[in-house]
Amino acid sequence: MLKIIIPTTMLIPLTWLSKPNMIWINSTTHSLLISLISLSYLNQFSDNSLNFSLLFFSDPLSAPLLALTTWLLPLMLTASQNHLSKETIARKKLYITMLTLLQLFLIMTFTATELIMFYILFEATLAPTLIIITRWGNQTERLNAGLYFLFYTLVGSLPLLIALLYIQNTTGSLNFLIAQYWVKPISTTWSNIFLWLACMMAFMVKMPLYGLHLWLPKAHVEAPIAGSMVLAAVLLKLGGYGMMRITVLLNPLTGQMAYPFLMLSLWGMIMTSSICLRQTDLKSLIAYSSVSHMALVIVAVLIQTPWSYMGATALMIAHGLTSSMLFCLANSNYERVHSRTMILARGLQTLLPLMAAWWLLASLANLALPPTINLLGELFVMMASFSWSNTTIALMGTNIIITALYSLYMLITTLRGKQTDHVKNIKPSFTRENALMALHLLPLLLLSLNPKIVLGPIH
Amino acid sequence: MLRRALLLGLGRGPLGRGLGTHRGGSTLDWDGKVSEIKKKIQSILPGGTWDPLYDTSYLPPERADVVIVGGGVLGLSVAYWLKKLEKPRGAIRVLVVERDHTYSRASTVLSVGGIRQQFSVPENVQLSLFSIDFLRNINEYLAVVDDPPLDIQFNPSGYLLLASEKGAAIMENNVKVQRQEGAKVSLMSPEQLRNKFPWINTEGVALASYGMEQEGWFDPWSLLQGLRRKVQSMGVLFCHGEVTRFVSSSNHVETASGEKVNLKRIHEVHVKIDQSLEYQPVECAIVINAAGAWSGQVAELAGIGKGPPGTLQGTKLPVELRKRYVYLWHCPQGPGLETPFVIDPSGTYFRREGLGQNYLGGCSPTEEEEPDPGNLEVDHDFFQDRVWPTLAQRVPAFESLKVRSAWAGYYDYNTFDQNGVVGPHPLVLNMYFATGFSGHGLQQAPAVGRAVAEMVLEGHFKTINLSSFLFSRFYLGEKVQEHNII
Repeated sequence: MLKIIIPTTMLIPLTWLSKPNMIWINSTTHSLLISLISLSYLNQFSDNSLNFSLLFFSDPLSAPLLALTTWLLPLMLTASQNHLSKETIARKKLYITMLTLLQLFLIMTFTATELIMFYILFEATLAPTLIIITRWGNQTERLNAGLYFLFYTLVGSLPLLIALLYIQNTTGSLNFLIAQYWVKPISTTWSNIFLWLACMMAFMVKMPLYGLHLWLPKAHVEAPIAGSMVLAAVLLKLGGYGMMRITVLLNPLTGQMAYPFLMLSLWGMIMTSSICLRQTDLKSLIAYSSVSHMALVIVAVLIQTPWSYMGATALMIAHGLTSSMLFCLANSNYERVHSRTMILARGLQTLLPLMAAWWLLASLANLALPPTINLLGELFVMMASFSWSNTTIALMGTNIIITALYSLYMLITTLRGKQTDHVKNIKPSFTRENALMALHLLPLLLLSLNPKIVLGPIH
Repeated sequence: MLRRALLLGLGRGPLGRGLGTHRGGSTLDWDGKVSEIKKKIQSILPGGTWDPLYDTSYLPPERADVVIVGGGVLGLSVAYWLKKLEKPRGAIRVLVVERDHTYSRASTVLSVGGIRQQFSVPENVQLSLFSIDFLRNINEYLAVVDDPPLDIQFNPSGYLLLASEKGAAIMENNVKVQRQEGAKVSLMSPEQLRNKFPWINTEGVALASYGMEQEGWFDPWSLLQGLRRKVQSMGVLFCHGEVTRFVSSSNHVETASGEKVNLKRIHEVHVKIDQSLEYQPVECAIVINAAGAWSGQVAELAGIGKGPPGTLQGTKLPVELRKRYVYLWHCPQGPGLETPFVIDPSGTYFRREGLGQNYLGGCSPTEEEEPDPGNLEVDHDFFQDRVWPTLAQRVPAFESLKVRSAWAGYYDYNTFDQNGVVGPHPLVLNMYFATGFSGHGLQQAPAVGRAVAEMVLEGHFKTINLSSFLFSRFYLGEKVQEHNII
């Protein structure tokens, strides 16, 4: 594990000591190399987990997430080059430092053994994200967005701290590897109900669950591109990962307590997809589609069957890559037209045909086209929820249709139709942007050839 | 004074109240106090815009989709139609930047307020026809919930254009064009003229065209206020400032004929706040130049016209300020209530104003006697020398009149062909024009607003085809000459 943590930490002195014209090259290349190291963890050779030390371990659930996190840092750096080009050198270096710090905390969160360490780093990821959103975001609303983001997550996760301390006191250890063998079934008393709620609420807010999702459209829309990418791709998955870990300690209460949250997720899935159909702001549309996809993951984690866990893991990885790619595409539009309103920049297929190809592939992945792992995840979750209750198939089916509708709506509005007059002199696609899209899409397509890497510990 | 001191004392909370100097509770502004507290709480709660350090509500937003430079009737009309024609409601964020909220020098409010269909160019007739329909049904278009209906005081008295022997043939042609478009205009001989309007002296008049319906005059200030109110209710943002700079990026492109042109794209508009050095860069996708008489200066800021003359690069926007005087006089024996807006062949015009035998009128000076447009001072000698003789000759009753007041206003005069410029610039692709109407902008504002909104949203003109009014005609030299310019 140190072979990832130390290089990541060293990225910070690397950026500060680089020459001004080498900061992007140095940081991007080195972060790409770090991601190649983390790929080695995907080779999980036992039923149990891969233990690096007393503090860190990785198992088939956290290894793909770790790979996603480290893969994302070079992509974030590539995407940020344009909008940071007018800042001073010190600001650019500070931005890269923030991203690296966030990366460090995320790596440690995904591989933490102790749940308290997990909690501390979970909270620590809030700080660099908040700084990125409020300092480098685009509009005055970003202050509001940062506030929402910070307080929703904090208020949700403070009870988690208390719950973890309580579990430490009663069970004796919060080391995850031990706790899963020492856990006793908890009965349905009021204090256990509150314990369950305290444990789960932090992750519900992070996912986000439908009723607690208000911070997400604000934060995603107001964040700069790297902020949106990391929020959509990784920070949301923290919630899913945490939920999967903590439910081990909370059986069999989950069977009864999960009902309201399942209902909220199923309903919220359809609601947020429908809202996407009425969005005028491109980034807002992608943000709401994130909520919709994550609702599927919540459903999967709460019904706790082997297939649903496989589906949840696959869906998390797939959504991470797809959502991040869609945000990059929206940002490339924004950098040219300086407006995020969809109707003002139409008919881009004739002007930027290669970018149109990336748009097409990203939208098709978003609507879960076979044989991508998006489809795999959604299908597994659908089948598991059908076996949990037959009625859910109607809701899931409706969601799939509406997802297809808004993905195609986004595609048609941005690409097809007659161009508006004022987009005729936008700059053609840069190689950097094409590389960015290709690097997002390549893992997604390759994973569809061998999905068992991302199917999680049950497989 | 006392009230303000009381409010301050109340604002300080228990300290103020503890000093307890107010007897007579009726001076406590309870409602005001409650609303102030509500405002304070709202600014802290994460619901609205939160300015932790100081109040920045006078600044425009940092980003807007469309920035409209100029808040006169044309700018507000474009804002109205953009908001009305956008497909999903609330999609576009529109910012109107106006540097003078009293509109003291704007052409809209200093205008005589006439509306006519008697133009020679068919597009002008169509524009006026739609505009009069808009004005007649103004409360269907500009109704705001809970606000009183608008009354623009439209006087449908019609226009009477007189033509001498030389102009009679042109007038007949014009009337044919107008009738084809649907305007109801009647041609009158001097005999018929004397019968209908006995106060006219028909010496030198060979033919007259009289608009029978949908022509007249109205109050431009109420139209402006009505548009402002409606546009604010639709969510358009207003800013009190002046556009001082456009930040743009350019691409060097070669046309098919090998000519090198510079395609520009405006990224940001710097809006300088009134009476301060502070400016706010507003990131925008589209800029609409509706600055009226000052459109030429705004276009120069965007780099239009900077290039070798004779090329597309070097074609300036030929809109400049021209000062025009309007005089208000009282004549007790003057023509009665049926008086239309009369336009003499010499260029002098007058119309009735109100019901007290007052008349408004003036004359456009020739090129040589153009007054200096530096200020809005009125030259009364102009009335004595140029306007009164022709007035008195046309209407004998005007030999004895008393000038009550006079004012001057600017025309956004298009020196090329005195017709409007509408649509995008061929090189600065995200600047659209809605200006240069040389004295007939107010009457065509609703229709022009709709045309520009269609151009921005759809990419082509849908209802009235104004492709002959595009900017490219200045480079290609295709004049759309309007003969009936006052």
